[in-house]
Amino acid sequence: MAGDDTPAETKKKGSSKKNSKESSTLKQKSPAEFFAENKNIAGFDNPGKSLYTTVRELVENALDSAESISELPEVEVTIEEIVKSKFNSMIGLIDRERVDTQLYDDYETEKAREKRLVKEARASEIQAKNLASGKKNKEPGVSKVLKARGEASYYKVTCKDNGKGMPHDDIPNMFGRVLSGTKYGLKQTRGKFGLGAKMALIWSKMSTGLPIEISSSMKGQNYVTFCRLDIDIHRNIPHIHLHEKKANKEIWHGAEIQVVIEGNWTTYRSKILHYMRQMAVITPYAQFLFRFISETPEKNVTIKFTRRTDVMPPIPIETKHHPSSVDLLLIKRLITDASKKTLVQFLQNEFVNINKNLAARLIGEMGPDFSPNMAVKSVTSQQMVRIHQLFRQAKFDDPSGDCLSPAGEYNLRLGIIKELHPDMVATHSGSAQVFEGHPFIVEAGVSVGGRDVKQGINIFRFANRIPLLFEQGGDVVTRTALKRINWNSYKINQTQDKIGVFVSIVSTKIPFKGTGKEYIGDDISEIATAVKSAIQQCCIQLKSKIVKRIQAREQQERKRSLSRYIPDATGAVYDVLKQMTEEHTTMRKRYREEETAMLEKVSKSIITKETLKEKLAEHVEQVDYEMALEYATQSGVSEEPRETIYLQHLNPNTSNFIDLHSPTFVFRLIL
Amino acid sequence: MADKKKRKRSKDDQAEDLPFKNILESDDVILQLLKSYISSSLSAAAAGGSGASSSSSSKPLTLADLSLSSSCREVADLSLSSVQTAIETVIVQITRSILAGDGFSFSVPSRAASNQLYVPELDRIVLKDKSTLRPFASVSSVRKTTITTRILALIHQLCLRNIHVTKRDLFYTDVKLFQDQTQSDAVLDDVSCMLGCTRSSLNVIAAEKGVVVGRLIFSDNGDMIDCTKMGMGGKAIPPNIDRVGDMQSDAMFILLVEKDAAYIRLAEDRFYNRFPCIIVTAKGQPDVATRLFLRKMKMELKLPVLALVDSDPYGLKILSVYGCGSKNMSYDSANLTTPDIKWLGIRPSDLDKYKIPEQCRLPMTEQDIKTGKDMLEEDFVKKNPGWVEELNLMVKTKQKAEIQALSSFGFQYLSEVYLPLKLQQQDWL
Repeated sequence: MAGDDTPAETKKKGSSKKNSKESSTLKQKSPAEFFAENKNIAGFDNPGKSLYTTVRELVENALDSAESISELPEVEVTIEEIVKSKFNSMIGLIDRERVDTQLYDDYETEKAREKRLVKEARASEIQAKNLASGKKNKEPGVSKVLKARGEASYYKVTCKDNGKGMPHDDIPNMFGRVLSGTKYGLKQTRGKFGLGAKMALIWSKMSTGLPIEISSSMKGQNYVTFCRLDIDIHRNIPHIHLHEKKANKEIWHGAEIQVVIEGNWTTYRSKILHYMRQMAVITPYAQFLFRFISETPEKNVTIKFTRRTDVMPPIPIETKHHPSSVDLLLIKRLITDASKKTLVQFLQNEFVNINKNLAARLIGEMGPDFSPNMAVKSVTSQQMVRIHQLFRQAKFDDPSGDCLSPAGEYNLRLGIIKELHPDMVATHSGSAQVFEGHPFIVEAGVSVGGRDVKQGINIFRFANRIPLLFEQGGDVVTRTALKRINWNSYKINQTQDKIGVFVSIVSTKIPFKGTGKEYIGDDISEIATAVKSAIQQCCIQLKSKIVKRIQAREQQERKRSLSRYIPDATGAVYDVLKQMTEEHTTMRKRYREEETAMLEKVSKSIITKETLKEKLAEHVEQVDYEMALEYATQSGVSEEPRETIYLQHLNPNTSNFIDLHSPTFVFRLIL
Repeated sequence: MADKKKRKRSKDDQAEDLPFKNILESDDVILQLLKSYISSSLSAAAAGGSGASSSSSSKPLTLADLSLSSSCREVADLSLSSVQTAIETVIVQITRSILAGDGFSFSVPSRAASNQLYVPELDRIVLKDKSTLRPFASVSSVRKTTITTRILALIHQLCLRNIHVTKRDLFYTDVKLFQDQTQSDAVLDDVSCMLGCTRSSLNVIAAEKGVVVGRLIFSDNGDMIDCTKMGMGGKAIPPNIDRVGDMQSDAMFILLVEKDAAYIRLAEDRFYNRFPCIIVTAKGQPDVATRLFLRKMKMELKLPVLALVDSDPYGLKILSVYGCGSKNMSYDSANLTTPDIKWLGIRPSDLDKYKIPEQCRLPMTEQDIKTGKDMLEEDFVKKNPGWVEELNLMVKTKQKAEIQALSSFGFQYLSEVYLPLKLQQQDWL
């Protein structure tokens, strides 16, 4: 939960900027209330999406937590389906049979039932017919019965990590209160809203009313904190049911969060699985275990995404704001926070790329009302506007990208190879660039071929190292890959080949579009250009590989593809010769001497179609041999560069090996 | 009767609204103007002799006159028997080469853009003498070589039997090998280039595409055709030009129309009866038959040719194909081009001149503008300063308009006002 505080305020800033009209009403509401009422903007539009968002918030928190202590993340996510009767017993409600059936929405009238039965009978008839005629049976279409209103499904979502854990006393506040931050500054963060598990808690409160359960232990603690709590939305304070210490038998550190919410697995199953898979691509140094447990065992899902590397990208560094990126509200807040400083100190210390010299020049430019040694707190609101205007107009050096933590070409490449097993892959990492005072880095990967990849272009988008799955159409990556890249010129077939396009953008502020912050707009030319050039760089790398491959294939198939045309060519030649011979023998046309000699050979069958074929085939063989020799001398004996393989570390604690000894080796079964 | 009256009245009402109708003189005056123009241009041509390049009456220049025949390639009409002999010579050579164990290859004149040359004295594109070798024993050319061999054999058969087939027929003789008609068509052009004869002398024709209507009488394979009596659609231009002859006409000019829609409008309004003319269209990019036919008309009837094309780069491109030839068939440009075609409209300057409303103009796409700029570099545009000016205007305003844009003033504006006014003002380049 380490990263939670900072993004919370980023969000506040964003929302107040977006709808400044609402901000007056917003002040009177607790932040928790605000999000409860506008849950769609945090990705809780409907039960299905809520389940998805809950999973992603928990997973992203877990990763942040583990990375903050430089521990290779190990995340276990479990979604357990809870049927209604079980849910009722959980909340202590007795299952009641329906007495007045007509009261319910899904009540079936006599007529409707007749209709349905007729339809079902017809369907089964068709099915039987199809079966008899040996046709492949389609999924019976009637199975999709509309779910009646109020027939909600409930899920218990558990997420366990090996991260930092949380201090015993802070846990209630970390979950039960939507905090406003105390820190300021700017940092590349995973969360899009920074609400983390709090939003999931609000959702559980709204849909099931069941409390959240947290177990946590920090490194070196000999106890595990167990806490059960829910949130008082109106007062924005935690409501603690249980808060106790238990023995830490496994010497575990990290957090385990369990929440029961309403959801919809059937409609969001593929989204959640895609999310996990793409997360595994972008974080190959993490280990994920995903489980879905259902009442009906055949629906169960267990997927393990294994670790492929132990190289982790560095933790993003907190940086100060760039003067061209701040707005009035932010200036005001920064001034309040740094009230003790003088103006020159404020400018120099609170922003990047302003040194003492520049600060003095800026103050001089602001006008006679300003002086370097005036206290910042005495700056009036009008003067703030002046500062803001000057920040907009003055020229500053671009912020450096040092504060960013891109996935890294190495990791991106590994991730792609690990999850897609492509035939070919190329990656490229661009240099840091700037959009509105925020640095950003674009990394791209392009793969061709692979397992479970559809034909055509498959796009994988990542922003600050989390996958983006929704609203693909308007996204800058989608548009660029589909419209602005001429795949043909890289010898890639846009419709036939299995192409994977991976683009990861990291920034201190990702310019998201849309209510759910699900895509990056196509209207920012800096980002669009960077994305295009990154993809193109990958394509250029691939092209040389593809060309080599085509050449090699041509080598192998040359003789065959040449020989294929021998009958057609010799046939045509012989046809003309035969006609000529006829003309010659019937004396309809006179030929020159050398031609006559040849035609006579044709008529005496010394030259036949077969002789032509044989001679041409001989020539093809000769040419093929010469060219093969030339190819071999040119390309030499070169081998593909080898990939290093990654061997998982063995857990040193487990020692229950079975060793099979032989005189030359030891065979060890690892259980 | 009543119906007719009503129509007439509504026509009159409309006439008052039509812009520029008032400055239009009566038809007789316009005809008089045209007559004097034609007689003056004819006499000028006669007087100028061979000096003026635009004069069509003088004996046309040839490559030999410019001593370019060695560096340029041109084809001629060959008789069937000489085509047959040419093919046989090639085949015998191939056979000898195969039997010697050397495989075989064709030397095909390159028809790439780099091998084209615009000769200003001739005002047309000609083919330079670069050739490419097409060996059988190479993966990249084996297909084309085989197709070439096959086409040679097929044409040899046509020569023996003395029959004509269409390009489509040719393609269907071996669909499996040719795969798609563009391949057999391209090789066909290669073959005629290689043998040094026109495509018509190979006895392969294209399907009919062009149509002609108006004051023209000619014989097609012995039948006399009167193009004023061909109904609304007009007479399809016969694909085989050597069967066409005995052209007679009392027309004052030939009107070349880019598009079918404008052609139908003019044909239905019997524009050729109001102003004696011959109306021709190839419905877009012109085919060989239409180009041959236009040239024949121009040469035999000695009439000015006025072109009505869209105001976009492609309109001008089509005009240039009629005038200077296409790059694809530049080897035969001597027979396919019609000299001295005047650009009547719709010209970019007409858009403002005739106050064509904004909503009928279209913005040019990136591609359009690029094509326009490329055209400005082409020699056949550069030689006519008027064209350069118009094209510059088009690229600058970034607006294009189709002939149909004139319909915004009523469907018949084209035939009722625009064309007569253009003729009256002799507004062509």
